[in-house]
Amino acid sequence: MRDLFGEIYNSIRNNKLRTALTGFAVSWGIFLLICLLGTGNGITNSLQSNSGQFVQNSIQVYGGRTSMPANGYREGRWIQLDKGDIELTKDYSENVEKVAPITDGTMGTIVMEDKTVSAYMMGVTPEYSEIQKVSLKEGRFINPLDQRNAAKVAVLSTTHLKDLGDDVMGKWITIQGVVFRVVGVYHGDENDFQSNLYIPYSTYKGIFDPSDKIRSLIMTFKGINNIKESDEFENGYSRSLKTRHQANPDDPSAIWIWNRFSQNVQMTQAQGILRIALWIIGILTLISGIVGVSNIMLITVKERTHEFGIRKAIGARPGSILSLIIAESVTITALFGYIGMFLGMVACEVLDKTAGAKAVDIGFTQIRMLENPTVGLDIAIEATLLLIIAGTIAGLAPARKAAKVKPIEALRAE
Amino acid sequence: MALIELKDVNKTYQGAQPLHVLKGINLDIEKGEFVSIMGASGSGKSTLLNILGILDNYDTGTYHLDGTLIKDLSEKQAAAYRNRMIGFIFQSFNLISFKTAVENVELPLYYQGMSRHKRRQLAMEYLDKMGLTDWAGHFPNEMSGGQKQRVAIARALITSPRIILADEPTGALDSKTSVEVMNLLTKLNKEDGMTIIVVTHESGVANQADKIIHIRDGVIGQIEENVRHDNWDSALIK
Repeated sequence: MRDLFGEIYNSIRNNKLRTALTGFAVSWGIFLLICLLGTGNGITNSLQSNSGQFVQNSIQVYGGRTSMPANGYREGRWIQLDKGDIELTKDYSENVEKVAPITDGTMGTIVMEDKTVSAYMMGVTPEYSEIQKVSLKEGRFINPLDQRNAAKVAVLSTTHLKDLGDDVMGKWITIQGVVFRVVGVYHGDENDFQSNLYIPYSTYKGIFDPSDKIRSLIMTFKGINNIKESDEFENGYSRSLKTRHQANPDDPSAIWIWNRFSQNVQMTQAQGILRIALWIIGILTLISGIVGVSNIMLITVKERTHEFGIRKAIGARPGSILSLIIAESVTITALFGYIGMFLGMVACEVLDKTAGAKAVDIGFTQIRMLENPTVGLDIAIEATLLLIIAGTIAGLAPARKAAKVKPIEALRAE
Repeated sequence: MALIELKDVNKTYQGAQPLHVLKGINLDIEKGEFVSIMGASGSGKSTLLNILGILDNYDTGTYHLDGTLIKDLSEKQAAAYRNRMIGFIFQSFNLISFKTAVENVELPLYYQGMSRHKRRQLAMEYLDKMGLTDWAGHFPNEMSGGQKQRVAIARALITSPRIILADEPTGALDSKTSVEVMNLLTKLNKEDGMTIIVVTHESGVANQADKIIHIRDGVIGQIEENVRHDNWDSALIK
């Protein structure tokens, strides 16, 4: 092994410029591959984090506006969801896990002692936090007891604390003239223009909106494993909802359903395609580098034909000549590949610190176009394997040529 | 059985005009003999040497080297036999330019898979025999022709081969160095009992051998017993 590396070192040392130029092509190929994959990861990560606050096997249902006449009603009628729609989900109990109604929200001003902040007040049931991934900073969320007793408790967002101060737990706040006690604070999205304030659904209904109306329903489902089952469930449920609200079951706009499961599957597929596309572009770039290495090895073999003749005359087997050339090719590819990989990772880090930190304002909220655009250990290992394979392929043809040459012909060559 | 036994060896180079180079060579060389093969260029002497050295194959006949039939070998087998049984000395030395003298000498042992330490030790021994201990770390282009050829001889000897094949060993050397190199080969033959075959077209060089084989148009002509080495003078006179 040590001898082999000695031979390779000699060969590289004798052809510094040529090796460096060839190596550059390989470095460049791997550099681009890593940059592409890093950017791809950044896009993927930001897509995931922008939809991160939702549980992936959940759907949200809104009332829409009919586009077809049905049951004697004309088209253009607004559908209002109500309490009965919650009951309807019981028909789908094999697929529906948890249901949570959401009230129409109300803009209000929170008053605490001499401080005020505006908030969007929503009545929710305890299940809400399990479906929407509410992450608590301190205290607790609305619990079943609050719901049953229509307790006057509230959960604030961390964004409210900017105006109210950090010491809010257990304090009394006034919203639209009603006094609530703060029982919890959740991590709100800093980018949101207005943060939600949660109070029990029953409390909201009792005080602010004593009707059966529901703004929307969110539910998690179970026993659904693929996009087909998800679509079937969505269709069936949506048809019975429409039937219940006297709309045409085939009306596409009477009920709006946001299916995060199928959306997520599509997103995963899109990410997979993006990743494959980036690998392909990267590998195609790398191929030019590999061809370069192959070319150089061919020249090397030609130049060293006489030397190989000597080696063969004194007893070198074709296999040892073959492995010498392939090892040299793999060494050049791997060495410069690693330089490229390292630089690519540095570039990704730089991208992370600059473009990654920048959020883009898209009107109502801000999103980050690139989040953590770096590559992990898995890609580094994959790229290493790729380099070794590439180096072997690059060296194979020249090495076979070198191994095949007859010693007398090689000795004659100068 | 003789060390080398050639029976009716034929070799034809295929081509647009097939060239029948060796036309039924019969030759026995005993262990410990010092033989020279002489012939004009195109006589087939180089082809014969290549066949003896397992660098080339032949069409018909048999070639036994130390009792082993050398015929239709794979590249791998041929390499192994060359490595263990044959030591080559070339006209142009054929040292590897980017390796030092000692690295060149130990290369055959590398292909035997011998450990670094052991082969370095052995190579130094053989360089010492050639009087080149001080030159072990030098590259071929830092040495004189005679020194290079002595490195090559050390390399040929290091595997303790059955035969030494020398192809015009003095062809690139001046007359004084030539004499030195030939004396070295003679000494190897006389003192160590090494079997040596020298191919040459210089009768002065051939005269050092005990037996001179003349080859002409692919057949062996005259075989001269040359125990008195008196051709040397006649060669000089010529």
